[in-house]
Amino acid sequence: MLEISDLTVAYGGVIALDKVSISVPEGSITAVLGANGAGKTTLVRTISGLVKPRQGSVMLGDQQLVGRSPEAIARLGVGHVPEGHGIVSELTVDENLRLGGLWRRDRADQRVAIEEAYELFPPLRVRRSVHASNLSGGERQMLSIGRAMVASPAVLLLDEPSLGLAGGLLAQIMQRLVALVTERNLSVLLIEQNARSALSVADRAVVLSLGRVELRDSAGRLAGDDALRHAYLGF
Amino acid sequence: MHLFVIYTVTGITNGMVYAAVALALVMIWRATRIINYAQGAMAMFTTYIALVVIRHGAPYWLGFVVALATGMVLGAVVERVLVRPVESRPPLNAVILSLGVLILLEAVAPMLFGGQTQSFPVPVSNIDLVAGTTQLDISPFDLFTIGAVLIAMLLLFLIFQRTTLGLRMRAAAFNPEISRILGIRVGRMLTLGWGLAALLGALAGMLAAPAVYVYPSNMDEVLVFGFTGAIIGGLESPVGAVIGAVGVGLALSYVSGYVGADLAPLGGFAILIVVLMLRPQGLFSFGRQRQV
Repeated sequence: MLEISDLTVAYGGVIALDKVSISVPEGSITAVLGANGAGKTTLVRTISGLVKPRQGSVMLGDQQLVGRSPEAIARLGVGHVPEGHGIVSELTVDENLRLGGLWRRDRADQRVAIEEAYELFPPLRVRRSVHASNLSGGERQMLSIGRAMVASPAVLLLDEPSLGLAGGLLAQIMQRLVALVTERNLSVLLIEQNARSALSVADRAVVLSLGRVELRDSAGRLAGDDALRHAYLGF
Repeated sequence: MHLFVIYTVTGITNGMVYAAVALALVMIWRATRIINYAQGAMAMFTTYIALVVIRHGAPYWLGFVVALATGMVLGAVVERVLVRPVESRPPLNAVILSLGVLILLEAVAPMLFGGQTQSFPVPVSNIDLVAGTTQLDISPFDLFTIGAVLIAMLLLFLIFQRTTLGLRMRAAAFNPEISRILGIRVGRMLTLGWGLAALLGALAGMLAAPAVYVYPSNMDEVLVFGFTGAIIGGLESPVGAVIGAVGVGLALSYVSGYVGADLAPLGGFAILIVVLMLRPQGLFSFGRQRQV
């Protein structure tokens, strides 16, 4: 369970997140929706320690994440799939996957986890010794999610996984994700501009606007209520 | 023809020393986008330490090991204590800082070790080998120099390409932010990278010392030639740096042999200028142009 409370982030004098509280229960997907500049990416970057909040707390179980370094937060079980995939393009697919679990002590565990990532996304296996710079957009996204999973995270932060992906491929990746969530009891925070895609897999949804939580509801209700959807998501 | 062979051997031997410096510069450039102008002075300092050890009666090899070890520590300390605090500032800050380290070390060295030029021992003979009645134009120390740098390069290659530590170091250099969110302690990797680079520099210092002697600015020229080699190689490519540095060694040796020793440094600069005019990104750089 990831519990974000009263999180406030400012860049210089500009407030990017204003007292944001969101809880992400285990075994479920919480979608964070909103327009460009709503603070979605700032939210995930703050959770993973790349941005220091002005105030507020982020609890993972009984561990306070605020104030820890990104590497410590990763080691506590927060997997972050950054916007634009965030793969290391100078390294091969296999090396990228290995990076996901390097800090884990047990080498055998690591190998099993990498094998699982290949099973999760079979297209990666055939390209294992290819430099990641040669991957297609979909393969990059698979690699990024697969790499995060190698660390066996308790929480997965996904920042705009739909970016640059064709609809069919996106749906496939999302399906895998949903299966993972129940299988591994993951808490997923799914950041999306593509609200339609996000609502189709999420359990709950939060709408951010200019750094504030505008709306919080079940994903099903938000997707089903034309008036709400139109007012907050514009489709 | 015989002279050509002599100049070639000298060129390759010197070039390998420049290559060690060039490789050290490239390692630091790739990891932290900084040109470490103090690389030569750091090598000078560790060579002095080796000299002190040897003068106290210890065998050459102990001095050798001590130089490499103190080099590694010195590199790590410079990164952790001086470079890290300015890491997020514009790169010029760190460059000026490395110039500061250069000036500091060259000023402190005469206080600690005396300012006069001192000779430096060789572990094996530096007199050319003779096979039967044929002069071979290469000395055991030349072979040692070439071999030591080759072994150091091979070990570095294996560390970077074949170990998980090397994978971590490469990831941290290529993409520090992604590495951090994957749990890699990027700071430690950078410290280690500087340490390994300085170890390589210290090796170059030990190998250059018998020929250039030991005094506070004895590595200045070696640094310039190594730097030239690294630039020719494109600054990004370890292989390019080695080839570039050996090329510089050869060119200097030919110029000094056929034209005159006084002109040798000019030869180095002439290559640098020609390469930068024809191919400013370096011979082995692919991709983006470097910003000056």
